[in-house]
Amino acid sequence: MAEILCDGKNTREINAAIKKLIADGVTEIVVRNPAARHNLAVAITQPVQIKFDGSVGYYCGGMIDGPTIEVAGSVGWGAGESMMDGTLIVRGAAGNGFGASIRGGTVVVENDAAARAGVSMKGGLLLIGGDCGYMAGFMAQKGTIVVCGNVGESFADSMYEATCYVGGSIAELGNDAVIKDLSDADVSFLSNTLSRYLGAKYSDPKSAAARFKKVVAGQKLWNFDKREWRTWREAL
Amino acid sequence: MGRTIVTMLEALHSRGPDSTGVALYGSKSEKELVLRVALRGRSLTDALAKQITELVRKRYSLRDSKTIGQYVRLVVDSGDTSDIAKYIESAAEGAEVVSLGHSLEIIKQVGSPEALDKDYKVSDFLGTHGIGHARLATESAVDLSHSQPFWSHGHPDLAVAHNGHITNYHKLRRSYEQRGIRFYTENDSEVIGIYLGLRLSEGMSLKEALTASVSDLDGSFSYLASTADEIGFARDRFAFKPLLLVETDAFVAVATEEIAIRAAFEGGFRVREAQAREVRVWQRSSATEKTPAKSTLQ
Repeated sequence: MAEILCDGKNTREINAAIKKLIADGVTEIVVRNPAARHNLAVAITQPVQIKFDGSVGYYCGGMIDGPTIEVAGSVGWGAGESMMDGTLIVRGAAGNGFGASIRGGTVVVENDAAARAGVSMKGGLLLIGGDCGYMAGFMAQKGTIVVCGNVGESFADSMYEATCYVGGSIAELGNDAVIKDLSDADVSFLSNTLSRYLGAKYSDPKSAAARFKKVVAGQKLWNFDKREWRTWREAL
Repeated sequence: MGRTIVTMLEALHSRGPDSTGVALYGSKSEKELVLRVALRGRSLTDALAKQITELVRKRYSLRDSKTIGQYVRLVVDSGDTSDIAKYIESAAEGAEVVSLGHSLEIIKQVGSPEALDKDYKVSDFLGTHGIGHARLATESAVDLSHSQPFWSHGHPDLAVAHNGHITNYHKLRRSYEQRGIRFYTENDSEVIGIYLGLRLSEGMSLKEALTASVSDLDGSFSYLASTADEIGFARDRFAFKPLLLVETDAFVAVATEEIAIRAAFEGGFRVREAQAREVRVWQRSSATEKTPAKSTLQ
């Protein structure tokens, strides 16, 4: 294990230090006192473990492919954005655009996420332990969004083949979002996911999982049909 | 309070390198009113400062007058002072009352937080709450008048700092101007203070006014508003502009980025981003009101 102390260093120096340690063969890195700096640990493509002992700013863990990143504090905008694979776990709260556009891997925040979480996802798993804000899941194409708390307005708007699960209340479903019954496979997936990532919060993940609501696309917006112009007028 | 806000502004200076400003609230005195007067588009000279002071002395009970940098700081007996700002601005050519209140003092200028602190000793200010702003001008002029925070002219102690763009600014401005309200700048952020001032004079609480503004203002905005006794924020319906907050038993801090909060406060507290349409207001408690010693901003 190696440590990097951020005091007195700028973003470029910290990221260069991380990449240098990885090149030297270090597989566990602890980054101390990041003080909410932006763009940390982006585009890391090796299966290393990186832990930030405080909060980070924008785009932490963006475009990664393989590493496991843990943030003890909160994250700013676009954490994990466009990641290909790997894991990003945030112990605090997340800002706007959490896990936006990910293609694979797992993005977890133990508390609330702000607006536009998981927009345009193309795969992977986004797990929010608390509530999430406005327009989560907008135009998500593939992948899974799990929100344990309440979701804000325009939830799951104009989605393609992504699947969402909500443990709390839904302020407002987005265009073409519909609620479906949970299958046994859904409950088992949710139960495993909750116990794996939020075990401390769920003493009985199985019965908690059974209370989630499943939200998918109603497929009304997948193909344009001029006989359904009302649907289109509302959506646009 | 001054030190805290300067530290937060220094951390975010790169976001708003043009101008810096603070609206600070010290101990509140119903008996006296503090005014800070600057000149629009030109530098303050000793002669002009003296002229402004004498004009005020002629009509009001003047307790104190000092020239500090580009400002004349005047303290007058509260009494009948409802027209004092209009009087000064019409009697002294180019004068602008930058702030007026029983507790509020605004200091702003073109330049960095470091320069503002050096010129006006902001760090030495003791108070209960305040607002800071680092400006990146997008459409209107870069000068003292156009920088933020804005005092809501005509409404003692009400100040606003805004990040974003009010897209129905021209429409609102036209309707307010038809009602005889004067605008001092071409900065769209100015309209927020005017809007809130009118809402408060209609009898709304600050919380109600902030909540109403989320529907009445169009565009992108995260803004802070403060009176002598309350401070709060409102965020637009799409959460376009960032706003982060932390509440602990010891303090409440709100900023555009967590960098500012981490720079000014130590501890294991958790920061979160506000949600779309979120409105929060905090009150100055009677306990904190007694804490700050009387201090004068330079």
